[in-house]
Amino acid sequence: MSLNPSMNTNVASPSSFRFSFSVAVLGLLLAATGCGRTPPAYFRLNMVEATKQRLSPDQERQVATILLAMFGTPDEPVALPETGLDLAKLKLAAGPVRSDIAGRKNGLYREHCSHCHGITGDAMGPTAAFLNPYPRDYRPGVFKFKSTERSDKPTHDDLVRILHNGIPGTSMPSFALLSDVQIDALAEYVKYLSIRGETELALMRAYFELDDDAEGKLPETQEFLVAETLVPVAEKWQAAADARIAVPEMPAGLDLATSIAKGKELFYGDKANCVKCHGPTGLGDGQANDYDDWNKAIVEIGKEVQSGLAKAGETSTSGMSADEVAEHRAQLAWLDRFGDVLEGDALRPRTIPPRNLRHGIYRGGRRPLDLYYRIHAGINGAPMPAAKGTVPPEDIWHIVNYVLSLPYEFDGELGADRTLVAQGR
Amino acid sequence: MLKSIARGFVVAAACGAVSAAHADEWGSIKGRFVFGGDAPSAAELKADKDVEVCGKHKLVAEELVVGADKGIANVVVYVRDKGVKVNPELASAAAGQKPELDNKDCRFEPHVQFVQTGQELVIKNSDSVGHNSNVATVKNPPSNNLIPSGGQTTVKFSSDEAIPAQVTCNIHPWMKAWLVVRPNPYAAVSKADGSFEIKGVPAGEVELQFWHEKAGYIGEMTIGGKAEKAAKGRKKVAVAAAGTDLGEIVLAPGVFQK
Repeated sequence: MSLNPSMNTNVASPSSFRFSFSVAVLGLLLAATGCGRTPPAYFRLNMVEATKQRLSPDQERQVATILLAMFGTPDEPVALPETGLDLAKLKLAAGPVRSDIAGRKNGLYREHCSHCHGITGDAMGPTAAFLNPYPRDYRPGVFKFKSTERSDKPTHDDLVRILHNGIPGTSMPSFALLSDVQIDALAEYVKYLSIRGETELALMRAYFELDDDAEGKLPETQEFLVAETLVPVAEKWQAAADARIAVPEMPAGLDLATSIAKGKELFYGDKANCVKCHGPTGLGDGQANDYDDWNKAIVEIGKEVQSGLAKAGETSTSGMSADEVAEHRAQLAWLDRFGDVLEGDALRPRTIPPRNLRHGIYRGGRRPLDLYYRIHAGINGAPMPAAKGTVPPEDIWHIVNYVLSLPYEFDGELGADRTLVAQGR
Repeated sequence: MLKSIARGFVVAAACGAVSAAHADEWGSIKGRFVFGGDAPSAAELKADKDVEVCGKHKLVAEELVVGADKGIANVVVYVRDKGVKVNPELASAAAGQKPELDNKDCRFEPHVQFVQTGQELVIKNSDSVGHNSNVATVKNPPSNNLIPSGGQTTVKFSSDEAIPAQVTCNIHPWMKAWLVVRPNPYAAVSKADGSFEIKGVPAGEVELQFWHEKAGYIGEMTIGGKAEKAAKGRKKVAVAAAGTDLGEIVLAPGVFQK
């Protein structure tokens, strides 16, 4: 078969030429990499943040190089002692799926997590766009379901619990069939991806704060990279174990019906104000147009790009100086590029509905304790505010009891709202 | 003790020759932001939550507030220099202050508040309905506390913020405010007439940072009739002990069309 259609025009149509050409290229690739060997995996740069911060290609390269030195690759992770991470655990989770010499399964993250959460932990795995809610993006370092205060990191045990139980009502399954050692390794790897992602964000944001004499280059010193950038991120993870919410016992000798009645009053009252978002029926229909922090970031950038393009469309370059024309063109190129980045590196933003409390599905766990954490600290990254400081612990327990009773509340008790409840089911 | 004195000396030396040369001379920087076009009318906001309370107030978008005399409110100006020497009187005054952010008439008052690191911000609720204040800080731990009618919460800031942080209320999504968190007292938010003053700045040269909610970092301005570029919204100014008046700083409408 000839690769040159002009020499054999009768048999080779242009399309078969392309076909045979691509086969030849594939053959070359196979020869170069060897059959059956997985090409090395790489971490994707956070292009949304890089573009938002208007980083130059040189600056993007600098961030990538620094991250490579500090964290290694998806196949060969590196953990500086300051991260507090256990490299042996990371190695079990990292890399392609394979067995080691002792017959232990390696590459656990690639096997179980990366389809949705992505190799980079950016929630841009191949299945991500098809899920609702979207998978968690670990890079901002924000996690919802945990036993710590709102702005604190989850404890290691919190991550293990989520891996073990999954997240009901979402696509996150339970990994209870994995061994404790494997789940432990995956929890460690999630922390690794999160610390890496937050360090990347900090590096990208640091360019703006540079003085002019730095010439747009971050200092590659131990002090800046480790002490000023990595340590503040890693320390928060190390502090999590001590940041657990102190939960007082549920008041002893309490009559459940009385507690539920008190909880109901609080639910509708001005102090806890649950009704404002979860709705007068508890169906989650009180507040419909809010976003969580991940989606809100994309919404806001999208607005900026759109209004920027609208403004550019109205601007005429006639009468501009050469400098101004160049500036105008650079701005247009940036907006254009941002449009492409949002298309390829972000998912279409979605609003976050408040939870429908009549389904009896509790994403962060169904123990009364789990609901206590959610109400006390709010949900980090989501609009749900913290009741701590406003609602005393005993009253939080009453709200927990009321919320847990909602799926079983007799429609008739809702009085005038019963038709609404029926529609919602 | 000796160590901390030595460290103080190093910091002072690192601030550059400027502050060392005028060790005890302090001047203020003032000016007035003026809108270089017809004053835009503010869009009305629709209060669709707690209508019986919030619907009573005429709520308007506050992303660009231009007064009758074309003064631009809520423009943020601060001294960028990290090691700037701080006037001891201002430092001790700041230590006793607790800046406030009030949920009042279903909006935040003020719309832009300045807080110094180490200070506690008191977030109040003077309304008859409950609010929550979602403080989206980047370097400080973010918070989102419920604040019932008549209640308050305090937020402490241990680190400065590279850009002003947004505060929102998730119950009333139209509510928005900004916090300017800086490590020293040298920041100001322009008043309704567009005027601002940063007091007690060490005499010499400092670099100012200009920011506005709608404009972002302000890269173009006309000072004393002269059009000037301010890359990344930064501009060096000389501070005289007698005070430096930048006069009218005109910002073209295009600056706010981002």
